Amino acid sequence: MRVTLLIAWREYLENVKTKGFWIGVLLVPIVFFMIFHLSTRLATATPTRYYLLIDQTGQYADSVETAIRREHQRRVMQDFMRYLQENRSDTANFAVSNEPANQMDQLLDDFGNDEVAALDDWLSNGGLSFALQMARPYLRADTPAFEEPREQFIAAVPPPELDLNASAEQIVETLRPFLNGESRLPAGDNQISLFALILIPADVNNDIVRPVTAMQGGLQGDTGPRGVQYWAGNLTDTRLSNAIQTSINNAIRQQEYIERNIDVNAVRDVQRTRLPVSRMDPGKVAGDEQVSLADTFRQWAPMGFVYLIFISLMQSVQYLLSNTIEEKSNRIIEVLLASVTPGELMMGKLLGIGATGITTILAWLASFFAFIQLYQTIETTMIVQILDVLLGSDLIPYFVFYYLCCYTLYAGIFLAIGSLCNTLKEAQSLMMPLMMVMMVPILTMSFIAQDPNGTMARVMSWIPLFTPFTMMNRAAAQPPMIDVVGTTVLLVVTTITVLWLSGRVFRQGILRTGQPPRIIELWRMLRRRST
Amino acid sequence: MSSTVLSLSNVSKRYGDFTAVNRINLSIPKGSVYGFLGPNGAGKTTTIRMILDIIRPDEGEIEVLGCKSAMQVRDRIGYLPEEKGLYKKMKVWAIISYFATLKGIHRKDAKLRAFELLEQYGLKDFANSTVESLSKGMGQKVQVLSSIAHNPELVILDEPFSGLDPVNQEVLEQLIRDLKNNGQTVIFSTHIMQHAERLCERLLLITQGSKVFDGTVDEARAIIPRRVILECQNDVMALADLEGVLSVSETFVGGEGRIPGTRQWELYVKEHTNPQLILQHCFQNGISLSRFDFTQTSLHDVFVHLVGQEAREHNFR
Repeated sequence: MRVTLLIAWREYLENVKTKGFWIGVLLVPIVFFMIFHLSTRLATATPTRYYLLIDQTGQYADSVETAIRREHQRRVMQDFMRYLQENRSDTANFAVSNEPANQMDQLLDDFGNDEVAALDDWLSNGGLSFALQMARPYLRADTPAFEEPREQFIAAVPPPELDLNASAEQIVETLRPFLNGESRLPAGDNQISLFALILIPADVNNDIVRPVTAMQGGLQGDTGPRGVQYWAGNLTDTRLSNAIQTSINNAIRQQEYIERNIDVNAVRDVQRTRLPVSRMDPGKVAGDEQVSLADTFRQWAPMGFVYLIFISLMQSVQYLLSNTIEEKSNRIIEVLLASVTPGELMMGKLLGIGATGITTILAWLASFFAFIQLYQTIETTMIVQILDVLLGSDLIPYFVFYYLCCYTLYAGIFLAIGSLCNTLKEAQSLMMPLMMVMMVPILTMSFIAQDPNGTMARVMSWIPLFTPFTMMNRAAAQPPMIDVVGTTVLLVVTTITVLWLSGRVFRQGILRTGQPPRIIELWRMLRRRST
Repeated sequence: MSSTVLSLSNVSKRYGDFTAVNRINLSIPKGSVYGFLGPNGAGKTTTIRMILDIIRPDEGEIEVLGCKSAMQVRDRIGYLPEEKGLYKKMKVWAIISYFATLKGIHRKDAKLRAFELLEQYGLKDFANSTVESLSKGMGQKVQVLSSIAHNPELVILDEPFSGLDPVNQEVLEQLIRDLKNNGQTVIFSTHIMQHAERLCERLLLITQGSKVFDGTVDEARAIIPRRVILECQNDVMALADLEGVLSVSETFVGGEGRIPGTRQWELYVKEHTNPQLILQHCFQNGISLSRFDFTQTSLHDVFVHLVGQEAREHNFR
């Protein structure tokens, strides 16, 4: 036991001293920072896009411009809602509470339920200036001033040489160099690059698709562009094209309502009619049955733990293999074996690398907690509350148990593989099947989370290699007692058996030189007691 | 305590059809320096691994320090394997100290001992370097030190001299003498005969897994007759009639810079023949010698004599 601990301690120190370990430990808080900080920064950092709208019918230009302004107002409103949540003075618990407490909560609630309706209210009430005035009493004293987001889409002035009444083909030809980025448009003192051209040809109304015409003539074999032409080199940013499509369709529909004598306001009211759906959990105490965000999170949290087990296991696998192979290829193994038994060596490695994995997880959790303490935004405040819910739940003991079992089970196998190989390259080919096995619970993870007591979940729980992942995933869904006890017994028995057999392979493999063994040799190794 | 540190009786090890070690018998007294000699692939390393209980013999009995298995007395044995290796990222003192702690030395004592050994054998300045920054030879010295840091009663060194420069070979020879003076038993394998000649009291010579010689260095030398080399212009076949001379034959050597007509003769004589007799005979018969070479038989010759043909075949198989 003394030597086992000595080996474990050395393994641990050696791993903890490597650069890779620290990169792994530090990467997680950095990634968190990126997600929370940079994603919001990047969204506001999208460059201003200049577009050119040429409406030869004269019918749609206003609608499109209104739609683009409306899109901007939507972003202002969105940012304002976020601003409100971050800076409000009362510490209402967003995660747990569902009761809108005051006017501001009403606003937030409306925003969350029906963005279109909220935007209409926002615009009809006077937009930002009104909202700021209304919110002021609820904001903290040290709240910074609200920064209105930049406009994302600005109409450009057509170049003087362009004949706005020319044929669509000619207009496109004239503007092609600007759209390709070969020329830049003058705009005041600056030169701007043209992001998109929206061309509404004079005869566009002939292309309107109605259900009847779609049935009869929708599949006509005419080639070439139909309807509104949207020209842009950037195919990924679809916000502008979506806004245009929606606004033009709205304008056409508006026209149709009028033509068919339908009250436009009545239609809008009908469209905004809704019935809220409250999600209830029968397992909760009466009176508190409504499903809160934290409850939903609690259902999905096991997936996070499965990921944590998986990532930590992947890291440990690297250490298990590379450290064993280092000892083998450097022939340190022989000196070690003159001092310790292969069993002690294997257990020492298992413990030392296990401790490394646990240290990594603790370091991640610590840096995560430190991060959410230091960097407080609306998301992290929510996470703190969610974590409070989690830490008080029974998921943690499940996690600790399944983590340890999973690590021991896989570590045993990987140590045996390491003992058979002289180079990492050899190990990789032996590792491949096992890696694929490990991918199965990750690939099926979301299905199991959705149907935690379904057939697939239950079947996979009884396969020991999948048990830790699958049962962890099901932990929040009160799986049947037979599954919990049965799979646990099976898992523990399998883990012990695997360790025992791995010990045999390890003892014989560790002194082997040359090629890794064939299956038949491996079988012999498993059956033989010693060399 | 028995005066025999290690004994092997009828020990064999087979890998499939290949017999690595065949019925070896051996007994090593306490406090001696014992040489394992043999060509490559003779079974030296396999024998050593069996002694250390890293692998088990298929047949026969091994008794180390009074126990059936070296694992029971592993803290009293020091081992340097043939293929040397150390943890590359560890510091020199730490690795010596680590191996000593594995052998039951307390952590603090192990550290002290590491620095003491490094100073004693000229590596003090490298104590805080990492192993990967050392040259191969230095790394090997460090490994030797880590195998003796716990003051083992029995030290087994597999090819300790390979890869060392002449100066460090001397340092290592001194280290082995120090161990002997300290009452420790040393077994080492080598195929550099000079080391064995200078250090060993007894030798084991194995080839193709079988023992071909076990005895003192003098006994080994006595195996092949002593040789005298003469160079002159004459025919000296008549020397064959002298007392103690076993055979006379002419050896043909070429090469530039030799006086034309010079012939070289090889005489084999009995172990205690007085070389003066040969000189006297030449003098009386007016044979003027340009070379008279009467050297003691080297272990090298014995080695080549005993295993030469087989070793050559083995290497080219």
